[in-house]
Amino acid sequence: MIKIPHAGIVIMIGASNSGKSTLLRKWIADGLLLPSEVVSSDHFRQMLGDTDFIDWTIGRSVEEVDSLYETYQKISSEAFHMMEETVEARCRLNKVTFIDATHIHPDDRGKYIQMAKRVGVPITALLLDTALETLLSRDLEREKPRGKNKVKKQYNQLKKEKRFIKKEEYARIYVLKEGEEVTIERMSNPLLIDVAQGIDIIGDIHACYDEMITLIEQLGYTTNEDGLYVHPEGRKLLSLGDIMSRGPESLKTMQFWMQHVNTDLAYMVDSNHGWKIARWLRGKTVKMAYGDEKFVEEMELYEQQNSEEATTLLKQQLENFLIAAPSHYILTQNDIPTAVCVHAGIKDEMIGKESRDIKDFSRYGETAGIASNGRPIRLDWTVHHHNSLLVIWGHDPKPQPLIANRTVNIDQGVVFGGQLTALRYPEKTFIAVNAKQDYAEDPTNPLNEWEKKRLDPPNITKLVNGYTVLTADLGEVEVLADYVQAAIDTTSHFTVPLEQLVYIPPTMSPTPKPSQLDDYLEHPQEAIDYFKSKGVTTLVAEKKHMGSRAVLLLFKNKEVALQKIGFATLGIIYSRTGRRFFERETEQQVVQSLNEELTAKGYFTKNDTDFVLLDAEIMPWNLKAKELIRSQYAHIAEQAILDRSKLLESLTQGMAARGDLAPWLSQMEEKLEHAEIFKEVFQKYCWNVDDVDAIQIAPFHVLAHSKQTFFGEPHTWHMKQNEAFAESSKWFVRTDYRIITDKTSEQEVVDWWTTITEQGHEGIVIKPEYFITKYKGQLIQPALKVRGRKYLNIIYGMDYTEPANLERLKQRNTGKKQRMALQEFTLGIEGIRRFVNNESLERIHESVLATLAMESTPVDPRL
Amino acid sequence: MQLTIKATGNHITELSHLLAKNPNNLYERKQKEHIVRIFYETFNHSELKMTTYVVPDSLALVKNTNNTYDITHYINDREFAVSSIFTSFIRNAFGTALNGQPKEEYIEWVSHRYDFEFSFGPIASELSDAQIQSLFEPLGYKVQIEYGETNYQFNMKERSTARFINIEGNVTLQTGLRQIFVLIPVIDNYKHYFIDETEVEKLERYGEGWLDEHPERELIFKRALRFKELYSPLEKTGLTTLPQKKVRLNDLRYSKIIDAVENLSHKKTVVDFGSGEGKLSEQLGFVDGVQEILAVEPSQIEVQKANRRFEKLVGDSQFVMPTNHFGSLFYKDERLKGKDVIILCEVIEHIDPERLPRAMSVIFNDYQPKTVIITTPNREYNSVYDMDDKKRHNDHRFEWTRREFQQWCANRMENIHYNFKFDGIGEEHPQFGHSTQMCIFTREEESQ
Repeated sequence: MIKIPHAGIVIMIGASNSGKSTLLRKWIADGLLLPSEVVSSDHFRQMLGDTDFIDWTIGRSVEEVDSLYETYQKISSEAFHMMEETVEARCRLNKVTFIDATHIHPDDRGKYIQMAKRVGVPITALLLDTALETLLSRDLEREKPRGKNKVKKQYNQLKKEKRFIKKEEYARIYVLKEGEEVTIERMSNPLLIDVAQGIDIIGDIHACYDEMITLIEQLGYTTNEDGLYVHPEGRKLLSLGDIMSRGPESLKTMQFWMQHVNTDLAYMVDSNHGWKIARWLRGKTVKMAYGDEKFVEEMELYEQQNSEEATTLLKQQLENFLIAAPSHYILTQNDIPTAVCVHAGIKDEMIGKESRDIKDFSRYGETAGIASNGRPIRLDWTVHHHNSLLVIWGHDPKPQPLIANRTVNIDQGVVFGGQLTALRYPEKTFIAVNAKQDYAEDPTNPLNEWEKKRLDPPNITKLVNGYTVLTADLGEVEVLADYVQAAIDTTSHFTVPLEQLVYIPPTMSPTPKPSQLDDYLEHPQEAIDYFKSKGVTTLVAEKKHMGSRAVLLLFKNKEVALQKIGFATLGIIYSRTGRRFFERETEQQVVQSLNEELTAKGYFTKNDTDFVLLDAEIMPWNLKAKELIRSQYAHIAEQAILDRSKLLESLTQGMAARGDLAPWLSQMEEKLEHAEIFKEVFQKYCWNVDDVDAIQIAPFHVLAHSKQTFFGEPHTWHMKQNEAFAESSKWFVRTDYRIITDKTSEQEVVDWWTTITEQGHEGIVIKPEYFITKYKGQLIQPALKVRGRKYLNIIYGMDYTEPANLERLKQRNTGKKQRMALQEFTLGIEGIRRFVNNESLERIHESVLATLAMESTPVDPRL
Repeated sequence: MQLTIKATGNHITELSHLLAKNPNNLYERKQKEHIVRIFYETFNHSELKMTTYVVPDSLALVKNTNNTYDITHYINDREFAVSSIFTSFIRNAFGTALNGQPKEEYIEWVSHRYDFEFSFGPIASELSDAQIQSLFEPLGYKVQIEYGETNYQFNMKERSTARFINIEGNVTLQTGLRQIFVLIPVIDNYKHYFIDETEVEKLERYGEGWLDEHPERELIFKRALRFKELYSPLEKTGLTTLPQKKVRLNDLRYSKIIDAVENLSHKKTVVDFGSGEGKLSEQLGFVDGVQEILAVEPSQIEVQKANRRFEKLVGDSQFVMPTNHFGSLFYKDERLKGKDVIILCEVIEHIDPERLPRAMSVIFNDYQPKTVIITTPNREYNSVYDMDDKKRHNDHRFEWTRREFQQWCANRMENIHYNFKFDGIGEEHPQFGHSTQMCIFTREEESQ
């Protein structure tokens, strides 16, 4: 029985006429091989040169022989080249390829051995040992015989080569005697694991046995009669390696995994410590340091307490167990690969393959030499991960599971006093257990080192030429170089420091369709219809405050702020473009007072949080927009009223003499009225701010606390929080809202909107009940604004309601605005999640900068 | 936007022929999407009062221009204020009067002076009432200015920015209209020129006989020269002189920095942080021994200006072409590691002080250049300029005294191995020091 691996090269070795092609044809006929799994040089000669053989020897002149020989050589050389390319491509695709050629010369075999090694697939040799007589008699039967001399020569050459072939690096070599009946068995890829009932993947344990058992029990595993941990639903465990060293109980932990792996209850991949210990167990000279010396101590203790035989046996068992660990596993669902589990890192092209290089990479990841402290300088291999598989890895401790670029790191440094994390697959949820102590007591504790670097300035080279942010809800969001550069100009000149800039509020689209009513541009009905068409039945309609959007990041005290963002401050308030909202002094005054209020309410203690991040509107409008109002809105109101009242005067006077001026006169009356409304509308949002007490803040989203975000809460929850903030506060104000569940409440909202907007209020925002809402798997608009008929005067101009204008304005297209709204919304959530997750400034800023970049893309500002 | 012409006295009826507008009809014409209207309020032997106004299509007015993505673009005063837009809209309607070419039998009245009252507006202008008066009074007009309403519910502005102009004078119709047509765009604030090049010619033609002698000729041309490209032919003829504005301090600063760089033993690679429009980078390009200049500037507008400056030097064999390098002090940029010199010339004062320490730490700890040169204003010296508490530039986030700057530099040196020394740029005042202060940091291994 010949075992054929799931992928790679099978080279046939044998002289012409040895029966290679016949054997392969039989296997194809028996359904053991696909015709496409066999390549032969004859086939390529035929394909390229229209013939598979040229006999250049018989009955020709010397010139003719030379020429024919050259032609044949040329065809052959091209054919081999093409064949090698084909075989290598099939190897990359993890296919099996049988090569039907003689492979008598060592070079012919060597290039395929190298190829297999390079790509990371196994190579198998099938040697056909056929007697010379058979070869010669078969040659005579051929349509184009190779000739006696040539066959003899090949036979003798192969005879010489046999002993060398046995030393060559094949996964397996099979020698087939003439007339022997053989068949083949196709093997499956040992790296594939069917997810089945679920897999629980555990990060670097480093001998923290107690924490490991606690975690496994929390995952729902219980011991069976053999003392092995099994899951009632049949889930299995998978370790990302480095189960030993540094920590207190290497041996116990290794025995645990060995038993569970050997009984098919668990899997474990290879790792740097595992590999080193394996070599030590094998008796190789390796320097046992970086925590490996602790394992040696344990082993010595074991030796003292047990017989020599027992020790040797254990060592042998452990070595076999460690050596057998593959570089990585591929998790499949319905036979389709969806995730990869690997210790330190992997390149896309290595996935599903195995070789010395791949093993090496999977143990150490990508490195760039050794730093002065003796540690390897780790490079970020995750940036090169492009395919859709989720790569789950450990090795490089981070304080929190780090999800980046479809990779997730679940080494939370339990041995350094961090956490031991499990990722449940396919659920993709995390369960973590805190370390009982810092066992490693390493002066360069990687968790501390990471924390020191957390707020390092972002790497500009990763951003400046455009980049993508992988978001949980919208996949990859791409930002282009030009806009990124404009955004960097903003963050370099105008915004608050990058550490403080954790979130930029998303833009919001008006209703995708204009109002069906003749004299309205926007109306709540279209928003309600939009959400209904997206399957949303409960809506929340919130009054839209007319002030300036602001983000408030308020801390419990200055110490926690220093730790979180590197600035000892009680809080920051910035505008939707990231600029400081108030003058420095005013900000301090407001923030100080807000802190006192929140502290008095016990907000931080009650919610067990170091900070609160709020999305809010700050009123009055003139607080921030005074100059714009003065030079733009007021100026235009004055211009329009002066112009129109003068004309009205002249037209009235003219009317005395001539009646045909009537239509011009009534038009002017109407226009003057428009100007008066315009002037009335913008004043509605302004009042005197002689001191800070006149400022009002309406928080409408509680975005985050230290340990959680609130994107899973319904907007009614956010409104409840808003009420609580407004209670006994001199800053916070309530936001009026209504809930839509049926026709009656729908009409109530329309009536409410009509009433308040006739009074000049800006309008309302209609949101689906839940913050993040999807329809048929697609994210839908998180909110739509419906602005009042009067308010829109200051957006579309004072005469926008004239039929000729309205008709044209109704042709507006909100497509781009909607796309931007969705992308910015998702980026905002992504950035806040990263911020709460204590990720690096670079990771948070990536989202923030992307939103700023979106905001510099051209879009109609009236939408 | 409107213009009312009132005339009293004799031969009034002839005026309607000079205007070529029948007093019995309403005049309405389309100018592109906009409507131009004219009507007579009064017309008899002794008095004529005629008003012309435009009903603009506000949507068409804001279409297809450059700044479509700015909200202020959509809410603006162009549909109300009198401006070059207005004069171009009504030019056709007043063609006969402006050119002085009525029907043969009325030609003699072209040169007849009437008692006129022209009212027009509203105007949107930064010119003061006095300046506006000075435009019309030398031409023999009596000027009245009326203000718009500012009755707001909250304190916003004392006075309206909308004004209406009434001028009275004894002139011919042609001259009166021509003067108004020339002076309306001069009064108007608008920065973007709206009409075509034939306007240049019209300015010259309409100005004939009065503009050259006008005492405010300078002002009129200066305001007209806002549309520089269009009026440059006039500039060449010496009709105007632009004020000589040269900031000598800037040059002193650059030459001081250049001197400092010339004296360095390591100066192959130089980074000019915040290179702006590229003046310093340009000069660095001529320093012997400098082989690479990275001009770091995140603002695209500045980069474009710098490029125009550098392009002029293409082909000069003495000149090392600076490389534009998109960068920022608030990000890490491995490409800036290990350079010889990093210069921050008048940069730090544009950065909020709280952001500075981390930015400087990246320079000293990560980039580790052999030399760092920093210049910044010396606030003490502002007293010499009689500046009180004002800053020299409204984007300056701070201006430091010598003591403050020195202390700040010293604070940067925690765990950092640089030596540093201070210097000044510009004339030295015995009490207040130099106008600009400078610090040169030298990496310790280099100074040994």
